Amino acid sequence: MSLAIHYDSTFDGFLSAVFEIYRQHLDVSGFVAERSYETECEAATDLFAQPFHIETSEESARRLRRAIVNAASKDVLGLLETCFRSEDTNIEMNILAYLRKLFAGLDPNYGRNPSSLEMIPLITIARSVRREMDNMLGMVRFNKAPDGMYIAEIEPKYDILEMIIGHFRGRYPNGTWAIIDVKRGFGVYYENYRSHFVTVPDSSYLSAHAPPDEFTRMWKSYYDTMAIKERINPRLLRRCLPVRYWKHLPERSLPDSSLARIGAVPSQQLPSTVAKSIAFASLRLNVQR
Amino acid sequence: MDIRDKLNILGDAAKYDVSCSSSGSKRNSPKGGMGCGHSSGICHTWSADGRCISLLKVLFSNACKYDCAYCVNRRSNDIPRATFTPKELINLTLEFYRRNYIEGLFLSSAVIGTPDYTMELLIKVAKELRLIHHFGGYIHLKAIPGASSKLLFEAGLYADRSSVNIEIPSDRQLQYLAPEKNFASIYRPMNFLAERKLEYKADKSKYSPKFLPAGQSTQMIVGASGETDFQILTLSAGFYKQQQMKRVYFSGYVPINADKRLPVITTKPPLLREHRLYQADWLMRFYKFEYNEILDEKNPFLDPELDPKVMWALRHPECFPVDLQTADYEMILRVPGIGVRSAQLIVSGRRFSKIRLQHLKKMGVVLKRAKYFIYDCEVPRELHKLYPEMLRPLLIAGKSMNDQLDLFDTMPTALPAPAPQPKVAPLSVNS
Ligand code: SF4
Repeated sequence: MSLAIHYDSTFDGFLSAVFEIYRQHLDVSGFVAERSYETECEAATDLFAQPFHIETSEESARRLRRAIVNAASKDVLGLLETCFRSEDTNIEMNILAYLRKLFAGLDPNYGRNPSSLEMIPLITIARSVRREMDNMLGMVRFNKAPDGMYIAEIEPKYDILEMIIGHFRGRYPNGTWAIIDVKRGFGVYYENYRSHFVTVPDSSYLSAHAPPDEFTRMWKSYYDTMAIKERINPRLLRRCLPVRYWKHLPERSLPDSSLARIGAVPSQQLPSTVAKSIAFASLRLNVQR
Repeated sequence: MDIRDKLNILGDAAKYDVSCSSSGSKRNSPKGGMGCGHSSGICHTWSADGRCISLLKVLFSNACKYDCAYCVNRRSNDIPRATFTPKELINLTLEFYRRNYIEGLFLSSAVIGTPDYTMELLIKVAKELRLIHHFGGYIHLKAIPGASSKLLFEAGLYADRSSVNIEIPSDRQLQYLAPEKNFASIYRPMNFLAERKLEYKADKSKYSPKFLPAGQSTQMIVGASGETDFQILTLSAGFYKQQQMKRVYFSGYVPINADKRLPVITTKPPLLREHRLYQADWLMRFYKFEYNEILDEKNPFLDPELDPKVMWALRHPECFPVDLQTADYEMILRVPGIGVRSAQLIVSGRRFSKIRLQHLKKMGVVLKRAKYFIYDCEVPRELHKLYPEMLRPLLIAGKSMNDQLDLFDTMPTALPAPAPQPKVAPLSVNS
């Protein structure tokens, strides 16, 4: 009887599961990550597979990490973790297939071969994850709240928020800012040179706290003037800047600047002081570490 | 005039400058300030014409005293004029930067008063950003033609990159179209900056301030003055070698002014030609091609139907088929359908196992094209016996509908790009 492995959706959880699969010789037909949000494409669950829950164990995860580094390298471990962030339907099975080959030990060079049939797809997936991460460095948009805090909402396809934080710490070391992944319901809050992970089940009060202002509108109209009309190319635009990201980019989501200029667009409601204090209280309360 | 109106006028006037790259500088945030340099540059958004926007690209002023035929800002045009104050521009840059709209500032200007006076204003903005606001973001300053060496040097101390646009690829045409300019006046500042940068590089001492860490760039207008592709590539190869340019941009001519010296105002911008030139440029920068391998006196134009890499392969049947198990990296790079990443994977992977078609497929190699040029036991031998004349129509027809439409995309489609995307291109102007 093959099993559908349920685990807590973290990388450590996945490693623990693989550890148990080896220890107990489990016959696996798929993985089910227990997430609070929907990923791009939910796995078609195998109706005949028996659900089997595996608890996350730091110790097993640590041991498996070490085994991977020994059999392959640190780089490969990093690559697997990057792939894992894709939350791809089959990513667990793909990584498992690679690990099975790696640990089978039939080919002593397998861990160093970047062009094995199991490795090439992983390299490709890791590349897309890194590409989104790189693009996201440019696509985070902060709005300024009245108290001077800068707030951004993002909705990346892959789970990349942690990967971009270092860049923003380096960029705004003296600022107070937060970046929220609204799809995954968590964010990073940075203040006094420290960043904290926070859970943000509902970010709507935060956006109300920092609505678009004069600078947002100047940016929008600057953006509109930049296009050369003889060269307008919607297809190229969508390829460079996929529509999925537009929602959180004021230059694509705010109404046309020519309308804004003549005042046809009602300005956003300023948040009441109540909303403001809730926003703050909850951000600070949610600080986990 | 409020700052928003100025931004609209001066942004609009700057949009024909192609360069918007923020690459080439790596810097940590200065103490007590903000902003860092990201060595491969960061695109923040793309405008509706599909061009990357990375920097706040504006003119300090568009009230020009010169009269270049191809430029919107020439004094004979009747357009609204505006001039920033340094303070307005600095605030705008800082606040846009804090919101992560931009990587920094690209500041150019029409010539107001004298070239030196204009240059001083640009430097003042950069200097205050760096020294008063401890701004670590990217700064690109235009070198105003005719500005003194002393000022050019000072600009290099605060800017990451500087550029002087040559615009017109021949001296005679340039003087004809831009009476106040000539090649000498363009090359002088370029050479001056290139030499200073070399001096700074030679002096390795850690404490010397950096000079133009991201180097120089320039741009040429394509299709305004009857130049050939070979002339353009020859010039750009020279810029890369002699002036150590980081980038040469091409800008398909968009008719702005009705002027008897220029193509008629209804001319469509030559986007396909511009695209092919970028592909050729790509081959020179990342695929180790020499400009005179791509074109020569007898073949002075790029092929509109095929990308320059395929064009080269068809002219050199003696180099193919290539055996991927043994060929040099440089030769694998020259196989149509194989990009930089796949070539690297092939070379590092073949030590462990033979590279077969199934590997190539997974790597994303375009087998439709590559199959004619590689040796593999699964590829029918007849494919290698095709004459170039027979192969050409096959390669053109072998392009999917998608590729056909992609002709107008500025990213080379047949040449998979190495890491950073080319910050896309169009037309230019101003100083
Ligand atoms: S190209 Fe420069 S100098 Fe010539 S008119 Fe335009 S702004 Fe003035």
